[in-house]
Amino acid sequence: MRFRFAKLASHAVFASALVGLAAAATAAEPIKIGVTGPFTGGSSSMGVSMRDGVKLAVEEINKAGGVLGRPLQTVERDDEAKNERGVQIAQELINKEKVSATVGFINTGVALASQRFYQEAKIPVMNNVATGSLITHQFDDQPANYIFRNAAHDSIQAPMIVEEAIARRGYKKIAILADSTNYGQLGRDDLEKALALKNIKAVAVEKFNIKDVDMTAQLLKAKEAGAEAVLTYGIGPELAQIANGMTKLGWKVPIIGSWTLSMANFIDNAGPGGDGARMPQTFIQEPTTPKRQSFIISYLKTFNPKNARIDSPVSAAQGYDSVYLLAAAITQANSTEGPKIKAALEDLKTPVSGVVTTYNKPFTAKDHEAITANIPVFGEVKAQRVVYAYPDDFKKASEVRVKEAKK
Amino acid sequence: MAILLQLIYSGVALGMIYAVIAFGYQLTFQTSDTLNFGQGDALMLGAMVGLTLVTMGVNFWLMLPLVMVFGLFQGALVERIGVRPAIKIKSEFGWIMSTIALGIIFKNVAENVWGRDDMKFPSPLPESPLKFLGANVLPMEILVVVGAVLMMLAVEFFNRKTIYGKAVVATFNDRDAAKLMGINTGLVITFSYALSSATAAFAGALIAPLTLTGATMGSVLGLKAFAVAIIGGLTSGLGIIVGGIILGVAETTTGFYLSTGYKDVPGLVLLLLVLALKPAGLFGKTAIKKV
Repeated sequence: MRFRFAKLASHAVFASALVGLAAAATAAEPIKIGVTGPFTGGSSSMGVSMRDGVKLAVEEINKAGGVLGRPLQTVERDDEAKNERGVQIAQELINKEKVSATVGFINTGVALASQRFYQEAKIPVMNNVATGSLITHQFDDQPANYIFRNAAHDSIQAPMIVEEAIARRGYKKIAILADSTNYGQLGRDDLEKALALKNIKAVAVEKFNIKDVDMTAQLLKAKEAGAEAVLTYGIGPELAQIANGMTKLGWKVPIIGSWTLSMANFIDNAGPGGDGARMPQTFIQEPTTPKRQSFIISYLKTFNPKNARIDSPVSAAQGYDSVYLLAAAITQANSTEGPKIKAALEDLKTPVSGVVTTYNKPFTAKDHEAITANIPVFGEVKAQRVVYAYPDDFKKASEVRVKEAKK
Repeated sequence: MAILLQLIYSGVALGMIYAVIAFGYQLTFQTSDTLNFGQGDALMLGAMVGLTLVTMGVNFWLMLPLVMVFGLFQGALVERIGVRPAIKIKSEFGWIMSTIALGIIFKNVAENVWGRDDMKFPSPLPESPLKFLGANVLPMEILVVVGAVLMMLAVEFFNRKTIYGKAVVATFNDRDAAKLMGINTGLVITFSYALSSATAAFAGALIAPLTLTGATMGSVLGLKAFAVAIIGGLTSGLGIIVGGIILGVAETTTGFYLSTGYKDVPGLVLLLLVLALKPAGLFGKTAIKKV
């Protein structure tokens, strides 16, 4: 009898241990976050830097105990900058991986093609790089919008580029060179609109394709039209061909363009020809605040990029911040359900201190853009790195620029 | 005037890039009536191997023959596993799929080995332009034109003046008769594939400093070169050069005088016109096929 009792007791202990284990398992079950971007190909310096920024943030959050007592787990997929791959991945992340939210989208075209699946599934997306103005307004006609962004969209960048060229540097004759993708053509549109506001019409508006190896025709047209500056909308490799084509023609005018001029594959492939190119940046790799300093140090230590230069510092910083924004929203919602996370994002109670800025009520139900026009500064390519274009900006860089209240 | 000259210079340089690749199509077509649709990928592999050698510290000029040796092996491999079985069973179209498939495999392997980012190929010549009759030319562009012409002349010389070259020509003219005369036509065909990949690899290493090196560099160039081969004629060495220059100049001038958005259109229109009016190409010989 005693023996049987002992056995029973041991069973009970075993059973309760099992129950305990199961409870622990649910408590520690990770919160899945989708990460989608091009990790290979022409846009990969943006995609990989973004992914690494995300990884860094996830690692830090998990070390500090995770979110709601559960660790974050990233599910990374390479969309190869292809719209159709993006669509496949969206469906896989939603239906198979059952992610709670997704961060990413580097390419405007991929974002526009893929995010309707998240919208339908009521899963929030935090665009952390793609800048096409339409992205956060794609579902304006629907009662709820699950698309958020913490990147400087094109309607911010295009006026900045035009302001720099016309007002600050006094050029009158402007040429626009944009690639034939969604990104380039939407950006060209924004540039033309911004120029029209200054009563200026570009003297040449030219197009080029991804993988074009000869830019002579485009550059000659700009040159013949008497352009004093070239405004660009494209990605690294082709932008480098523009700079190289200018060297060949012996025609040197300033290149001012969208933030992609800071991509490593522009800087490396253009060589000295790329020096002086200017672009709006939300983040420049300089330790101007303690937060930025610790971010740069741990990024360089963890991923050890070539020449101690982050391939695309903007992407890394925005990727990093996007995870903290999501984590704050999940904590506040006390849930991993899409609608609740979305509601929390639209009404974040606690400020999130990020690398780019301090996000103090970054989103509202009407406004899903975390970055406003006052946040980005101008960067310039100098000796194979991106530095502050204006010493004044650099001096004031330690004062974090925060989002303006809506006028 | 200076503008037109500039457009022509750039067009010629671009056209010669297409021509060297198209030359490879021609080499295999002449011996076996087949084409290596992975020609663009052979070019890419050559450029990638060249870049690896150069970053390892091999001199650019020493790298070129090494890359060609690599191309020889790569081409022979394609012929042995992709084309020979199709020829053996007298399949009309098997080689099309198998050469395309091998091209895709090579591209994927390259993506895994070298990554998919575009990289800069260090230029062996100064990167500042030369003034030439009022328009600018990069030294590297001159090298591409000279290198391409020299390579084609070397192959022509080989075909006309050496006994092995005559075997190649004989195989082209009549494969069965050549076989009866004791020529190892199988070996000749393998050789022509090896040679075509070697020229593609050479072209890849030569043009890489002008384009950018990456696993996908071959796809667009290979396609344009195919158009050049059709326009110029698959049987004429001169046709390839003329076809290349026509396409290159057409692209740059359309880009300037019409619209840069329509840059690729004239080449394709030209291709359709040639196919409709002179299917053997501008310089091709029309052979009468006996049935």
